[in-house]
Amino acid sequence: MASVTLSNVSKSYGAFEVIDNLNLTVDDGAFTVFVGPSGCGKSTLLRMIAGLEPITKGDLVIDGRRVNDADPIERGVAMVFQNYALYPHMTVEQNIGFSLRMAGLGKPDIEARVVAAAQTLQIEPLLKRKPAQLSGGQRQRVAIGRAIVRDPEVFLFDEPLSNLDAELRVSMRVEIAKLHNKLGSTMIYVTHDQTEAMTLADKIVVMRDGKIAQSGTPDELYDNPDNLFVAGFIGSPRMNFLRAELTQGSLKLAAGPTLSAAGLPDAGEALVGLRPENFVLDGGDASLVVKVDVVENLGGTRYLYGTTGSGEALVVEVRDRAGIKAGDNVQVGINAARSMVFAASGQRVRPGH
Amino acid sequence: MIGRVPWWTVIVVGVLAVCWVVPVLGIVLTSIRPPADVALGWWRLDNIRFTLDAWQRVWVEYPLAESFFYTALLAALATLGTMLLTPAAAYAFHFLKFRSRRLLLIIIINAFVLPQQVVVIPLFTLWRDMKLIDNPLAVLIPYVGMSFAWSIFLVKNFLEDFPKELIEAAKIDGCGPIKTLQHVVLPNATSPIFAVGVLQFLWSWNALLLPMLYLRSMVPLPVLLTKVSGTYEMNWDLRSVAAIVTTIVPLIVFVVFQRQFAAGSQTRTGAKE
Repeated sequence: MASVTLSNVSKSYGAFEVIDNLNLTVDDGAFTVFVGPSGCGKSTLLRMIAGLEPITKGDLVIDGRRVNDADPIERGVAMVFQNYALYPHMTVEQNIGFSLRMAGLGKPDIEARVVAAAQTLQIEPLLKRKPAQLSGGQRQRVAIGRAIVRDPEVFLFDEPLSNLDAELRVSMRVEIAKLHNKLGSTMIYVTHDQTEAMTLADKIVVMRDGKIAQSGTPDELYDNPDNLFVAGFIGSPRMNFLRAELTQGSLKLAAGPTLSAAGLPDAGEALVGLRPENFVLDGGDASLVVKVDVVENLGGTRYLYGTTGSGEALVVEVRDRAGIKAGDNVQVGINAARSMVFAASGQRVRPGH
Repeated sequence: MIGRVPWWTVIVVGVLAVCWVVPVLGIVLTSIRPPADVALGWWRLDNIRFTLDAWQRVWVEYPLAESFFYTALLAALATLGTMLLTPAAAYAFHFLKFRSRRLLLIIIINAFVLPQQVVVIPLFTLWRDMKLIDNPLAVLIPYVGMSFAWSIFLVKNFLEDFPKELIEAAKIDGCGPIKTLQHVVLPNATSPIFAVGVLQFLWSWNALLLPMLYLRSMVPLPVLLTKVSGTYEMNWDLRSVAAIVTTIVPLIVFVVFQRQFAAGSQTRTGAKE
């Protein structure tokens, strides 16, 4: 187990900066998820930690040691690849034991550790098979087995679930969470799927264009995003953004109602962020009329996809089964306390700034 | 019907096959008929007699057995050398980064455009100065060296499709470049390596020019073949036997290993297809 610290880390290919002066600490034993849209540099960052990409500038410190120039094996990292990268000519047993064999361990030692890893992942019956004879989920388990058998300081996962089908993805997600609870090791996990990030992470690092947009616990990012990007990225369905004018402590929505914004500095043109669950059908601090285009029924909850009077799209979560149909005009109340205001620059407008 | 070959393919392939088989048949027949009977052509049916006389005499009159052994030895060593060195070189050129890698590769591949005849004389003077004339190395070094042009190209092309993640996984698992080559790349690159091996074997076996010039005491089969025809006699029957002996090994090798040529570069990584 170890903490990972990146200070002023940059990565560039020629003149093209992929990672731009990034500072981050991954706590010992924490499950940290790098999330962001494709091309944001999250995988590159992971590969830099793994030792697969050289670091252009800055320091990478694992367990108190600067390891910029160390081989992956000296860094004590193990990695699970998106497409598993199992050695096709080796059996599951040999795949899992390969790193131990390279480290020069004796046969009985290797066997004991391979069996222990296989038991943890419940793949013991598969040990004699070749990767081609395994299903996607089983291959992923073997890939994870190959990582845990080494008992590494840091686990790195590079979008490990994106090649699995939806159902398997959910169950493997739970298993990875269990594995983290059991091993208590430092894990860094890269994904573009915010649901995976929310469900697995102790700490989420949202990345955009090679920079950290915001980092924090899932709840912090969900409840208190720093900027428009994070607000829109975290949460499903997405947060609604409504155009508004913020002047003298009052927020005039283009869609009609005015909300009180006491304590917020003037920002002029702004966007108000409201999550689908921040609406109520009765009451609320202010209300607006939504023309419902589509009703999505998930059983317990329904999502109303509608349009406001000002022509802005809006998603509203409804808990009761009041027979709302597509085409209806519905009056929804806003829970103003949960609203967030973003300036035109995309930064959050907070009181006293 | 889908998957069925059109009728004309059968005819074209049949005609081609006949073109190839007829001379072989001729050689075989010449070797087992008395020379007098085939003087006007092996297809003549005036006198039909068979004899194994030539098959017995050629071993005595010419060092055919000895040549067979030398040929096999030289071809085997040349093939082994290429099969060992080519994958290593192809791996280095494809996966490792070093100075002037590209330039070096271009120079090696460009040996392709050099005909053997161009290097014959400079090599001869070099071997003479190094006292390597009549030493097996005098032919083995150019056999292997000149094979790099096409063999590295062939194996490197295969590695283009080699999954990069496997190399990275090996790195994470603690392999340096040599161990990665040994444990991960080689076991998954057997088909191009065998293809290179078979081609190199055929070419080394059939080589005529270099051994004729650089070897004295060791006479491989193709060189011997030129000597079987006597000064006054054409020795058609003996030449036929020698030709059959010379051809049979490459033919067997090709038939046994032909599947390697058809094998594509699919390496199953265990990734979802």
